[in-house]
Amino acid sequence: MDDFTKQTGGGELPCENPWGMLDADSRDMEKLSGRNRSFFSDVWFRFRRKPTAVAGLVMILVLVLFALLGPFFTKYSYSDQNLDLVNIPPLLPVFEAEDGSCYFYITQSLKVVTVNRDGTLDRQLTRLREDDKQKMIYFDYNGEEIVIFYGMQPYVIANPETRMIMERAKVWNRSYILGTDTLGRDILTRLMYGTRVSMLVAFIAVLVNLVIGIIYGGISGYAGGTADNIMMRIVDIISTIPLTLYVILIMVLLGSGLHSIIIAIGTVYWVDMARVVRGQVLTLKQQEFVIASRTIGSSTKTILTQHLIPNAMGSILVTVTMLIPSAIFMEAFLGYLGIGLQPPLASLGTMCNDATENLKSCPHQLFIPALVICMIMFAFNFVGDGLRDALDPKLKK
Amino acid sequence: MEHILEIKNLRTSFMTSNGEVQAVRGVTFHVDRGEILGIVGESGSGKSVTSMSILQLLGTTAVIKEGSSILFDGQELTTLKKKELRAIRGEKISMIFQDPMSSLNPLIPVGKQVAEIIKEHHPDRNKDELKSMVLELFDRVKIPEPKKRYGAYPHEFSGGMRQRVMIAMALANRPELLIADEPTTALDVTIQDQILKQLRELQRESGSSIIFITHDLGVVAELCSRVVVMYGGLIMEEADIDEIFENPKHPYTLGLLRAIPDIGQDKSRRLTPIEGTPPDMTDPPKGCPFAARCPYARNICAVKQPEYVQLGEGHRSMCWLLDERAPKENNPFVV
Amino acid sequence: MVKYFAKRFLIMLAALFLIALITFVIMHAVPGSPFTGEKKISPEIQAALEAKYNLDDPLPVQFLDYIRGLLHGDFGPSYKYTGKTVNDFIYNGFPVSAKLGLITIVFVLLTAIPMGIVAAVKTGRWQDMTIMAIATIGVTIPSFVIASLLIYVFAYRLNWLPTFGLDSWKGYVLPVVALGGYSMSYLARLMRSSLLEVMGQDYIRTARAKGLSETKVILRHAMRNALIPIVTVLGPTVAGLLTGSFVIEKIFAIPGLGVHFVNSVSQRDYTTIMGVTIFYAAFLLAMVFLVDIFYCLIDPRIKFE
Repeated sequence: MDDFTKQTGGGELPCENPWGMLDADSRDMEKLSGRNRSFFSDVWFRFRRKPTAVAGLVMILVLVLFALLGPFFTKYSYSDQNLDLVNIPPLLPVFEAEDGSCYFYITQSLKVVTVNRDGTLDRQLTRLREDDKQKMIYFDYNGEEIVIFYGMQPYVIANPETRMIMERAKVWNRSYILGTDTLGRDILTRLMYGTRVSMLVAFIAVLVNLVIGIIYGGISGYAGGTADNIMMRIVDIISTIPLTLYVILIMVLLGSGLHSIIIAIGTVYWVDMARVVRGQVLTLKQQEFVIASRTIGSSTKTILTQHLIPNAMGSILVTVTMLIPSAIFMEAFLGYLGIGLQPPLASLGTMCNDATENLKSCPHQLFIPALVICMIMFAFNFVGDGLRDALDPKLKK
Repeated sequence: MEHILEIKNLRTSFMTSNGEVQAVRGVTFHVDRGEILGIVGESGSGKSVTSMSILQLLGTTAVIKEGSSILFDGQELTTLKKKELRAIRGEKISMIFQDPMSSLNPLIPVGKQVAEIIKEHHPDRNKDELKSMVLELFDRVKIPEPKKRYGAYPHEFSGGMRQRVMIAMALANRPELLIADEPTTALDVTIQDQILKQLRELQRESGSSIIFITHDLGVVAELCSRVVVMYGGLIMEEADIDEIFENPKHPYTLGLLRAIPDIGQDKSRRLTPIEGTPPDMTDPPKGCPFAARCPYARNICAVKQPEYVQLGEGHRSMCWLLDERAPKENNPFVV
Repeated sequence: MVKYFAKRFLIMLAALFLIALITFVIMHAVPGSPFTGEKKISPEIQAALEAKYNLDDPLPVQFLDYIRGLLHGDFGPSYKYTGKTVNDFIYNGFPVSAKLGLITIVFVLLTAIPMGIVAAVKTGRWQDMTIMAIATIGVTIPSFVIASLLIYVFAYRLNWLPTFGLDSWKGYVLPVVALGGYSMSYLARLMRSSLLEVMGQDYIRTARAKGLSETKVILRHAMRNALIPIVTVLGPTVAGLLTGSFVIEKIFAIPGLGVHFVNSVSQRDYTTIMGVTIFYAAFLLAMVFLVDIFYCLIDPRIKFE
């Protein structure tokens, strides 16, 4: 600001008209930083700034799409069995045919299946005979003979005449991208259905919890006084016992089945929701009282209903988002214990359960559904965390 | 050495995720032996940060910047090693804080907390000696039934009593300098009075110096011999207590004086608060920090920081209106 | 204070009574219930049940009989296994589970608390990030997934530890880690946030102003305040370990009460289900009660409730 300097004995004054009165505009008396946003866009803005929350949201969308639309893209159903092709891994250890036309794969039942060069499984070779002493099983391949030699671990495929073991290779399974399970069912398809079932159970159960929780908490908060006291006491007593026990008991009563699980989870987890709703109702009641005493102008009534209800919904939404992983976990837990759905229905938990016996030989059967469970849990936890932070007024920039 | 404490060009900032908050922007003053100095300012003026910079109690985001100097009894505090600094805390320089309830550990009996400060610097004392010393301190600060109160917990005390405990704790090792950061702000006015009287007496007895920080000029009048007025991280005016009240030479000081309620005043005269709010210290004003709220501000005030003008023995002020070139109209400092 | 605990104790008894009542009612009164004789059970068991419970008596009398039995520690005969009583299951299984649970709690506390402290003291730096990453994983991944992973890596692949059996100390490692993983992560996070909050308090500043070293400040002043939320949460933690035991005992073939319970569920051994549920409930209520007492002892402010 060196436009006009006034030279006097005291030194330069770097200002135009230095002794003019400072006008009101140049004073920034009360600088309010930050633009004004509506409540929801503010929440969304803050939510967006947290990378884990956004990642979680994306993951949820991907999983939902996977579960809903996925099955249309596979050619198997979740219950199609193929007992010849059990426990096939996604990465096939194969042997290359000598003429390079295809690969050979040894199945668990000691049959040979040809695998095309692109990874798709082709046909089973006809078994010719077995030679005990030589430890070889003969198969017919286009008129030629090849053998499985089981004298060494792991078994190999060789040319019986030259006794040359064929070249080993690894090929990605194109027919069953994630392999098959103990009954020869396509894991990918089952995974999709399993995700669908798990998420369905979780969503519906949480919805039921939401309704019961809102009703119970709403009544308790609104009624106040002794009724509120008693109702909250009951809630306290109920929550001393782990809810898992209740769920298991209810499952015993209702038997296995999709509806049983939903009912069981749905009628037990409402406790947290009830507490949150009751708290919000109590806040609302206080605000109404304040309005009534006219310490705030009546025009702010609309503002309060526009702020409080969204705020209350915010807390409820956070609770719902955090309830979903609990429901998913509970369903997986029950499935894993064998108290869940019955075959051929698949859920992520039952898939893990089925896979435990093969853990050593086919770890992928357990870890793939486990991975999906983890993804769902992470996704909802991150989203819930992000929502909670975005709604927290103390963290406002 | 006359000055027990000499602060030169202290600059303290907080490094936050929103940027650097320049809480103290170049503060120079001293404290003489045996005197009670008052530091007055509103919230955000930098007065607390200044006092806490002395003992470096500000937390990990705070930085005392290069070029700052804090000399205590000739020793430079800003460059001390941690161990040496700890030897001074509680022993040579003590602090009392604003909220006595939150300043005492709720889970430890009060007597133990006071004994702790003695034990830390005099580890040779045994349990009984410590206890009797604490009881004697409780007596000095006039806590009734000291024996009973020794084993009590902070929440069993009233606000005024708690503050007495804090004072007892601060004076336990007979420090040369006591820093009291708004010790009466959280208390009722009547209790406030008692505490102030207490401090005056104790200071007379021990001869230690006190830095008394407050936002209330009225309280300063009771207790202090000299006053420093801070705003926006800088000292606006510094003077003896009589000078400040009779001959204030800064618009901010004028504003503070006008805002003091006077029990004998005419009921029709309204209290005149100072309009506006303190500046944002992440982006401090380039000129005089008070310009935005000053009724006499000129254009130059918002552009360039004024220099200190010496107005007599121990009286200085930072204001353009005191400059020889300043106009006479609308200037409260022109006779 | 004694009045307060007497009240809590009575409420506990009331809760227990309520739970026993509900369980009893469910097992007896719901149509299709095992006791109505619609399900086919072996004649020996039928005889045992009748001998025990006088199934012809009106329900309230049966209930009182049952309660009387409970008060004597008698949970009745097993519904599925002739000659075995529910007591057998409980008395054989509980000590095994309890031992595993105790070791797990010690493990959890010994790891979570230091983890939380380090993460809080070095907040924002790599120690904090690493510890919190581990904790987040532990809280999100279900225990049976962790167990399977551990078995696969340490037992199958590396062969360092056995897959089942509690003969040597090695057999305890994987189950304890798998069982404690969730609680450890949860408590570590809690310890960290609790300590961070405490460190921001004014009395910590006072402690520093007294000239105390940072270590003394943390150990003498910060820790006792920071540990209070941990104590508060101990009750639910034990409950979590209890339910965790269902899965862990199954995976590692540990003959504890958890696996008996799960088996009784899949076998529809109704008397065992009932008995074990009530036993669990009693145990948990007792734990919560103990934690409450302990909590009152350490926080002087509570005495004046």
